[in-house]
Amino acid sequence: MNAIKRLAAILDFLLEAFTVFLMVVLTVVVIVAVLARLAGESFSWYDEVAAIMLSWITYYGAALAALRRRHIGFDSVLLSIPVQFRMIAVLLGEAVVLTFFILMAYTGFQVLAVLQGSYLVSLTWVPIQFTQSVIPIGAILFIICQILSLPDYWQKTRDGISLEHAEIEEEVDEELAKNAPRS
Amino acid sequence: MLMLLIFVALVALICINVPIAIALAMAGVIGLLATEGVSSLVSIALDMYSGSTKFSLIAIPMFVLAGAIMNAGGITDRLINFVSAIIGFVRGGLAMVNIGVSLFFAEISGSAVADVAAMGSILIPQMKKRGYSAPFSAAVTSSSASLAIIIPPSIPMILYASSSNTSVEQLFVAGVVPGLLGAAGLMFVAYVFARRYNLPTEEAFNTKRLRETFVAALPAFTLPVIILGGIFGGFVTATEAAGLAVIAALIVSAWYRNLDLRHLRRAMLDGGIQTAVVMLLVAASVLMGGFLTRAQVPQDIANAILGITSQQWVILLILNFFFLVVGFFLHSAAAIILVVPIVIPLIAAAGIDPVHFGLVVTLNLAIGQQTPPVASVLITSCAVARANIWDVSKVNIWFILILLTVLLLCTYVPSIPLFLVDYFYR
Repeated sequence: MNAIKRLAAILDFLLEAFTVFLMVVLTVVVIVAVLARLAGESFSWYDEVAAIMLSWITYYGAALAALRRRHIGFDSVLLSIPVQFRMIAVLLGEAVVLTFFILMAYTGFQVLAVLQGSYLVSLTWVPIQFTQSVIPIGAILFIICQILSLPDYWQKTRDGISLEHAEIEEEVDEELAKNAPRS
Repeated sequence: MLMLLIFVALVALICINVPIAIALAMAGVIGLLATEGVSSLVSIALDMYSGSTKFSLIAIPMFVLAGAIMNAGGITDRLINFVSAIIGFVRGGLAMVNIGVSLFFAEISGSAVADVAAMGSILIPQMKKRGYSAPFSAAVTSSSASLAIIIPPSIPMILYASSSNTSVEQLFVAGVVPGLLGAAGLMFVAYVFARRYNLPTEEAFNTKRLRETFVAALPAFTLPVIILGGIFGGFVTATEAAGLAVIAALIVSAWYRNLDLRHLRRAMLDGGIQTAVVMLLVAASVLMGGFLTRAQVPQDIANAILGITSQQWVILLILNFFFLVVGFFLHSAAAIILVVPIVIPLIAAAGIDPVHFGLVVTLNLAIGQQTPPVASVLITSCAVARANIWDVSKVNIWFILILLTVLLLCTYVPSIPLFLVDYFYR
């Protein structure tokens, strides 16, 4: 169990750093492009590059969100059914998520094979294989993150704890602690 | 029969807490397999990629980021002081301040939950100390923060615009008057409560104090000026305004000497994760949408309803009811991404203005944030106030009634949301 936690912590650190890095790059790209446009200059690569950045943030961020179980869901029904059925439903749900991302990784590699030799329209030296690699890589990362975060989710769901409520409590405690001296 | 199977699969997956994005994508996969066979599965990779590269949605991470920087940047106290100097003298002053600050906050951030956590954690403890009950404090905070999602910039509006090919700039403009109307209504209810329970006033009105607090808060007002002025004036697009909002947020936070790398990193991370969660939904909707379009499902639904009635007011009534029910069970982003693409052909066929309908949808989902079981804003307010959801809901009913009144007014008097749109764009 400790090995899983340690692995999850390492992956969390790496994905967090990479997501922050992607956000910084996207922010800089958007700001520079907006200022340039207002100054009467426009970059031909802006739309294409910014859209690719958004896609990368989507999948690397989605893997991080999976590790932290932050994706939007609806747990009221699940938490209200008897424990033995609840845990079967959890297993079924996890199997569905993993199946989808296995399919996404597999078809993602198929698409990459077809795209060999293709380059971006605006930046002709960037291979599309590189930009679209986010689909299979993002899918594999999602699978790993989903598995690593399963033990905690399993435990909380068995105890009848809503992850969303737990997350809100945590955020609120943090804000209240920050503002405590003022209030 | 196939559609029924897909619908049942979707609902069943959502009920066992499969993330809604994955449930949606899986329903799309079932549809693809059933109609086009295994070879069509390559659409998974293609659609999930193209769905995540929608350029207009770059506004989402930028607005979330601007809001997160401002939340961390010491703006909250100054806004509270300024609004308190304007309306703190009224009975129930802190409740008024709460509603007023929500309006300003809404001009900066697109996320109601983050605003409640940041602003509520300062105001709710103060309210409780001044004799306001915990349920009342939570209800005021919750309802005013939800109203704020119809005031630009608004992430649900950006998503609606993208799902329906509507101008996000026009939607932003359409939200202003209903937002102000709703705030006035909420303040009225708060005032009635304040009279009834003899709640205190805050500081007496004082021009000098107003001037001082205004000057202190002045840099923070650059954001609404950039966002509203830039977009309304037609100088920038919503995406460009979002980029400028980040610059302004950075400058203002630096001005207040509250900008440090730790906060900035946290803001970037919050922005990244929130964006990823919403964008995964968007990408999944492209996968599902491709199947639905090929199967002509939205057109069939439109024809079926138009076969019963072609009266706009009846169609709007049905859709209002539908979105209110959906709002009980789904987060606003998920509700928009799931439902809007399906009903848009009906809206077009019935001759309803898509900007008008977008405002109606957003208002419905604002109300949905107040109604359990899925009510993230209400739950956050309750957590801050340490109050029971049921106790808060009993007070909150009065505030929800105001939001419903604004919804009905905007639905059946389209000129309320649209006259500014007509003035600026048509």
